[in-house]
Amino acid sequence: MKEISLNILDIAKNSTKAKATLTTITINETEDTLTLIIGDNGCGMDEETVKNVSNPFYTTRTTRKVGMGIPLLKLSAEQTGGSFEIKSKPQDEFPTEHGTVVTAVFNKKHIDFTPLGDVTSSIVTLIQGDPQVDFLFTHNKPQGTVSLDTRELREVLGEVPLDTFEVIMWITDNLNEQYNEVNAQ
Amino acid sequence: MKVTVNTLLSMDGFSPVAIADGEAQIEGVYIGDLLSWVMGRANAGDAWITIMSNINILAVATLSDVACIILAEGVQLEEEVKTAAQQKGINVISSDMSAYHIAAALSKAL
Repeated sequence: MKEISLNILDIAKNSTKAKATLTTITINETEDTLTLIIGDNGCGMDEETVKNVSNPFYTTRTTRKVGMGIPLLKLSAEQTGGSFEIKSKPQDEFPTEHGTVVTAVFNKKHIDFTPLGDVTSSIVTLIQGDPQVDFLFTHNKPQGTVSLDTRELREVLGEVPLDTFEVIMWITDNLNEQYNEVNAQ
Repeated sequence: MKVTVNTLLSMDGFSPVAIADGEAQIEGVYIGDLLSWVMGRANAGDAWITIMSNINILAVATLSDVACIILAEGVQLEEEVKTAAQQKGINVISSDMSAYHIAAALSKAL
């Protein structure tokens, strides 16, 4: 992917497909590294499937021979001398605490590091696409933190769906404001 | 003139890595190394020139239905990737030339 934010979109959509009710997107940045962690409480995968998802010719969909989201994220992380890992607990083995966590570490100083891109627009697109799912987004930068928890929004909004135009606009403005504040530090 | 993968192999500077269908027709050329970008832009029947060599290139070639992958600048495939190319029926050719010179040669032929 040209930008990591596009990887976020691709990977987080897998969580919705796995019937997650909460998807956690965390970006931890230091001066030298960027760690992307996408976790969910979806149905999880057995060991065999976890082994296979990095293989570009493997997919859970029937319409296409290959699924490229995970292989491309793995490639972009490893291209920077970083690392990639998937851990999963399948629902049938772990009935109370199941789900999947994908972790990619990027070396920011490596010449093949792709820029993060427009994370706000990725998060907003995810919420718009699956307004029934909750998203917890946290971006820890050396100067400060940007965060959004749709569960908190729901408490205030009551029955109003997250994909209502005004809500989406508010989320976009709120995230952009938070980024402006942090970046001004 | 009809240019096939075999035509390309008969030209100077190109050698086979994995050939499944030598009669596959080359109708155009695409050059690119960022796989997600290539995936949405290479056309069916293109000869795709790249310096990437991991297994993901085979998936991209399948998805975009290119006629062949041309590895530029002497890039080699690991044995595992070569075997996978044979299994998936993907044409892979290598050349010591740069992407520019490969494209220029194809431009004359096409």
